[in-house]
Amino acid sequence: MYPRNLEHSDCFVIMGSNMAECHPVAFRWPMKAKMNGAKLIHVDPRFTRTSANCDIHAPIRAGSDIAFLGGLINYVINSERWNTDPFFREYVVNYTNAATIVSDDFKDTEDLEGVFSGLVQYTEKPEWPYNAFVGSYQPASWQYKSARAQGQGEQVAPTARSGEQAQAQGPNAAQSPGAGQGAQAPAPLNWDSVVRSLKKPPAQRDPTLQNPRCSFQITKRHFARYTPEVVEQITGCPQAKFLQVAETLLQNSGRDRTSAFAYAVAWTQHTYGVQMISCCALLQLLLGNIGRPGGGIMALRGHAAIQGSTDVPTLYHSIHGYMSHPTTLKKHDTLRDFITTETPSGGYYANLPKFMVSYLKSFYGAAATPENNWGYDWHPKIIGDHSHMAMMAAMEEGKVKGMICVGQNPATSLNGSSQRAAMRKLEWMVVKDNWMTETATQWYSAPEIKNGDVKVGDINTEVFFFPSTQIAEYDGSFTNTQRMLQWHFKAADAPGDCKTDTWFYYHLGKRLKQAYANSSAARDQGWKNTVWDYDREPGTSTEISDEPDELKILKEIAGFQTADPTKHLSGFGELKDDGSTTCASWIYCGCYPAPDRNLTARRTPDPPGAPGAHLNWGWAWPANRRVMYNRASADPQGRPWSERKRWIWWDGSAPNAPNAQTGAPTPAGKWIGYDVPDFALTKAPNAQPRPDGIGLDAMSGLDAFIMKPDGKGWLYVPSGLVDGPLPTHYEPVESPVQNLLYPKQQTSPVYKHWAKAKNYNQVAKVGDPNYPHVITTYRLTEHYLAGAMSRWLPWLAELMPELFIEMGRALADEKGIRNLDWVKIKTPRSEIRAKALVTDRIGVMNIGGKRVHHVGMPWHWGWEGLSRGDVVNDLTSWVGDPNVSIHEGKAFLCNVEKD
Amino acid sequence: MAEAMGFFTDTTVCIGCKACEVACKSWNQLPAREGGQPELSGISYDNTVQLSGTTWRHVKFIEQFDSPYNGRWLMMSDVCKHCVQAGCIEVCPTGAIIRTEFDTVVIQSDVCNGCRACIAGCPFGVIDMNPVSGTAQKCTLCYDRMSVGLEPACSKACPTDSIQFGPIDELRQRAQRRLEQLQSQGETKAQLYGADPEGPVGGLNSFYLLVDEPEVYGLPSQPKLPSRNLASSAAGSVVGAAVLGAVGLVTLRKRRSEEVAESERGGPPRA
Amino acid sequence: MGDRRVPDTFFTTPPEWTWWIVFYFFIGGIAGGSFFIASLLYLFGRINDRPLVRLGYYVAFIGAVISGVLLVLDLHRPLRFWHMLIESNTGNPMFKSWTPMSVGSWGLLLFGLFAALAALSAAREEERVRWGPGFVVGSAFRTVVAIIGGVLGFFLAGYTGVLLSVTNRPVWADSPMLGALFLISAASTAAATLILLARRRYIGDEISLGKLAEFDKSALVLELVAIVAFLITLGAAARVFLSVWGALLVLGVIGAGIVLPLAMGMGWIKRWSSRPVMAATLVLVGGFLLRVVTLLSSEQVHIAGSRVITP
Repeated sequence: MYPRNLEHSDCFVIMGSNMAECHPVAFRWPMKAKMNGAKLIHVDPRFTRTSANCDIHAPIRAGSDIAFLGGLINYVINSERWNTDPFFREYVVNYTNAATIVSDDFKDTEDLEGVFSGLVQYTEKPEWPYNAFVGSYQPASWQYKSARAQGQGEQVAPTARSGEQAQAQGPNAAQSPGAGQGAQAPAPLNWDSVVRSLKKPPAQRDPTLQNPRCSFQITKRHFARYTPEVVEQITGCPQAKFLQVAETLLQNSGRDRTSAFAYAVAWTQHTYGVQMISCCALLQLLLGNIGRPGGGIMALRGHAAIQGSTDVPTLYHSIHGYMSHPTTLKKHDTLRDFITTETPSGGYYANLPKFMVSYLKSFYGAAATPENNWGYDWHPKIIGDHSHMAMMAAMEEGKVKGMICVGQNPATSLNGSSQRAAMRKLEWMVVKDNWMTETATQWYSAPEIKNGDVKVGDINTEVFFFPSTQIAEYDGSFTNTQRMLQWHFKAADAPGDCKTDTWFYYHLGKRLKQAYANSSAARDQGWKNTVWDYDREPGTSTEISDEPDELKILKEIAGFQTADPTKHLSGFGELKDDGSTTCASWIYCGCYPAPDRNLTARRTPDPPGAPGAHLNWGWAWPANRRVMYNRASADPQGRPWSERKRWIWWDGSAPNAPNAQTGAPTPAGKWIGYDVPDFALTKAPNAQPRPDGIGLDAMSGLDAFIMKPDGKGWLYVPSGLVDGPLPTHYEPVESPVQNLLYPKQQTSPVYKHWAKAKNYNQVAKVGDPNYPHVITTYRLTEHYLAGAMSRWLPWLAELMPELFIEMGRALADEKGIRNLDWVKIKTPRSEIRAKALVTDRIGVMNIGGKRVHHVGMPWHWGWEGLSRGDVVNDLTSWVGDPNVSIHEGKAFLCNVEKD
Repeated sequence: MAEAMGFFTDTTVCIGCKACEVACKSWNQLPAREGGQPELSGISYDNTVQLSGTTWRHVKFIEQFDSPYNGRWLMMSDVCKHCVQAGCIEVCPTGAIIRTEFDTVVIQSDVCNGCRACIAGCPFGVIDMNPVSGTAQKCTLCYDRMSVGLEPACSKACPTDSIQFGPIDELRQRAQRRLEQLQSQGETKAQLYGADPEGPVGGLNSFYLLVDEPEVYGLPSQPKLPSRNLASSAAGSVVGAAVLGAVGLVTLRKRRSEEVAESERGGPPRA
Repeated sequence: MGDRRVPDTFFTTPPEWTWWIVFYFFIGGIAGGSFFIASLLYLFGRINDRPLVRLGYYVAFIGAVISGVLLVLDLHRPLRFWHMLIESNTGNPMFKSWTPMSVGSWGLLLFGLFAALAALSAAREEERVRWGPGFVVGSAFRTVVAIIGGVLGFFLAGYTGVLLSVTNRPVWADSPMLGALFLISAASTAAATLILLARRRYIGDEISLGKLAEFDKSALVLELVAIVAFLITLGAAARVFLSVWGALLVLGVIGAGIVLPLAMGMGWIKRWSSRPVMAATLVLVGGFLLRVVTLLSSEQVHIAGSRVITP
């Protein structure tokens, strides 16, 4: 799903997002859909600018999304339409794992009063005690039931994980052929046999969906108690509204209609955020809305290159292209260990050896040889959770000595006063930004310094500030929320001494290479062998002297033939595991297929009115596909589900070129359509898997979800998630009420709570009378994140000049607060001030019989800039999601008093 | 004259992002209010509050709620209406305000002397002083951009096409279709504001699609030209002058008794 | 007044015509009024009214000069005041007959010219100055000046109200009475000014002053009628006066500025019946407050967000 595709939607549900305010440009497309008659729905604790433009606004308490989504799932599964319209059954049986049988060992939350089978205690590792889980699952019992061998897990998701939890995280954790061989053998020049050796018997299936242990039946039972009544009690959403949403969604899904969802950080910033998204995926699979035009789930990511920053990546637990970062916590000792641990034998990700070897070649160049396993041993490994909060917790204990802060403003970030305290422990800190942000100035102007709690003289950090260019002051690329790379060109010279980030890192890297040049220590060989040459060609220069060549960087990411670097790669199909290709990021492979063809710089739209996906506008990974898994836009026979929803289909008579290597003729027939097919191009709908096949050869013509080892969309998630195979309603860590669904299990059993014992990160207890109100934090159109790009700019600062708290009239009346009065907001972590904005756009909710006031605050402010205000994030805590370490900033508790 | 150009603002797809305001200030290099540091207005999400000499676009936010979560939030990007019969042109004593070849209304800043008649004459409260130039200013419909074939900055920046720019005739047809669509969807109060060339002030070259009465959006229901009062007020003055003149004649005229008294006294007047 | 609908004029922006304009309207009114009173006295009065005639011309001239200065000062680009009269980009005369401010600019210019001629003539007559052409003391010239200048005086006294009406602002554009009201008020304040100056400087005889006082009382009666008519014609816009401005209008303008001096002049208040200076002062205060109330009450109406804010 991508924003423009929303114009094909018949119904669009925005949940966990304030799309109109935070993605106003992308919101163009839902408005086009609205013009075409689509129904727009917003499910949110606040009536926002998004709600204002939707047909239905369903208010829910922050953090209760899984209860709402679970209610929708239960409604759909038991609806007449879903059970009588053959489309749904056809889609679900063929394209999802509904029919797959799950291990007999698996126990659901319904069996265990709120937890899944496999829950164990978690013990921190002494070398890095910042993984912060409150509990941990052994997921062995969650696996599919194999056709031949029982209890043995099938292949597992290829998603990148840090491995902080159970050892069974890799797809092949239990067995690692070739692992632990003692002396390391040279890497093979073809890894196929290694991958083939990982092959396991297929899982059992019941296409009738009657087997009580099939994914579908387990799912159905799991959500049976999410009735409209329960939804109302947990979420506070009136039943009538919920039913209106459910019916609208159901009526607009099917053979001839598609519905889409969008979410953003209001789904991710929870202790069960990944499960919210997973829950939505489950619902959309049941409704047959995945892989189809106007269907799917739109992950709204930040402007303009948050997607790019994780692709490239800045995620601590991934290397390029979402490959797992080598870690000491999994069997990653050697390249072979890494490959056997991480590679599934089925699905496109079976090509991981090609991606990995090409990646290592990009890292170490000619120094990477089969003999040294392409330099794998030089590659750094992680030792635990190195996400933001974990690093801050470590910093607070003096374990992290230095920090380079770019594109971030941690002084105003989660539990901000604690982050400032942590930064005061640093020996050195570099801030590179457009302005003197709060992070740059916290050592002399933070609130705790102004009020005398901390003396500047007691801080021993050496602080460096580097002025930074802005986006229009250099060439480069964005990768936006639709995974689309768009080259941008410099529009203006940067003022003064401002430098680009590429300049900064390039020259830092050069100096570090110099520093290690004469070292013979084993640990420094990586630095010595790292390829680090992006100098501009003589004769080309920019206003910033010594600026590296952006296109050389893009070329390294996008790939080239090792033997002839002028021969760029045209796609990841060309990647080899013998070192003959060099490519940092397999997913970006092909965006720069020739020295004079930078596809990301394309700006050619489709002609008006012509159906299409604007394939000549920029370049979207993977392979310029716009809708992922789009094989599912055709029925099992390869025909479009309906004329109206035509996208990709099978043309059985299309001739094919003979096999390039063997010259053998290829049978006629191929997938064609408006988009780049996300499927083996010439694999017929009725094709069967090759018995000894790996990768796509192991998949049938129905296996639309080619990145999944079994080719199916997962209702039930047998692996890849650390907090359970099915989404379950838990309360946020701070909640005003008991978990009405599972009274014995209040929160996720495995969430993360950093610095739990520390005074600065305490949380309110359930229903704490000192903190009775639910608070959520959010962004406004007028400002950007922590404000460095907006609070200093008069034209933006004037539009939202001061911090405020939005509260309902009932609460304002109770507390004697009038509009624009100053208000104190308090949590166990901190207390701040803001002006009151009294409104009916937020208000009181009835949660299981309890009257709960809901308030909300935008979090853009800090003490610097033109528009200043207290740091809202000082209120939040370091608790987070167990899969991705994102904090719970969207739902917690507070008290509000008139100042 | 070239084809009449203007805006059609469909308020039903306005998301209140204020991109139009920023694009306008950016293109026209207009200063932020109070150096970018005004106080929070408390009027919903509207901190712009009104159009002015330095704010030529203003997004209004109207909260219509009966109870928590139960209501609607209207948004509307307001701008100069570029009236076909423009009150500001009518009252401008210096000729600074002109009608362009695009049938838009532009204040020539080098002619205006800051008398502010146009501010009082505008039926929509659009015009105000720009303290930097010392002249009255307002939206020019980006005359400079239009002159070279570009669309105005605000409509260019509008992500949802709430602000649409084009030939007025075409925009009117588009607006009519959208109106019919909304009405068929049960939006009974949907109405076009200023689209009728037979209507008040000859129609607006920047017209609107509203879903409530104009007053709700802070718009006059029957905008009028200032000159409507000229005849009546002038007539009142003339009548007043006549009555006063008559009274003056009666009270100030030389009376017979005075003549007598004067001739009796005979002395010259005091000087 | 009970109309719930907000008048269309309320959805507009105040031009910030405040103190410069208040004083201009007040002084311009006195200047215009003085001239037409002087003209009437000259054309129809006694020979013994001449000192008052001359006083009226002087007041008119000084008032016209001050008016011009005030108007220029009120401009945000004062050096461009001439753009009112000459098209700055073509050099052609700038005149719009349908625009009170344009007509008014020419009117004030011409009035100033005639006031200057009249004052010059008066000064020559009194031998205060000795320069200038001889014909200015000729009776034909004086008659022409008195007639044209008198008409211009009426114009100057009344056009300001029309100027306010030919806008879209609350109160101003909601009644057609403002021109007449200002005109009549100009007459009463001009008469009061002349009375005050004459008494202070011992100009004119008791008969002249008596006629002026008579005229002033009649003007006050007319003014009262005009204010009532003004308030009635305002309709829904009169809600602006449900405020301190209304109180000022009733107590200050009507009470202190009209009823009280009228009562004094009529001898209804025995104690004060023979205090014409006080009565005239009150008339001036009332006339001034009338400008204050009509201008500033309207100025306070504005839009914030989508809502109309009234005083």
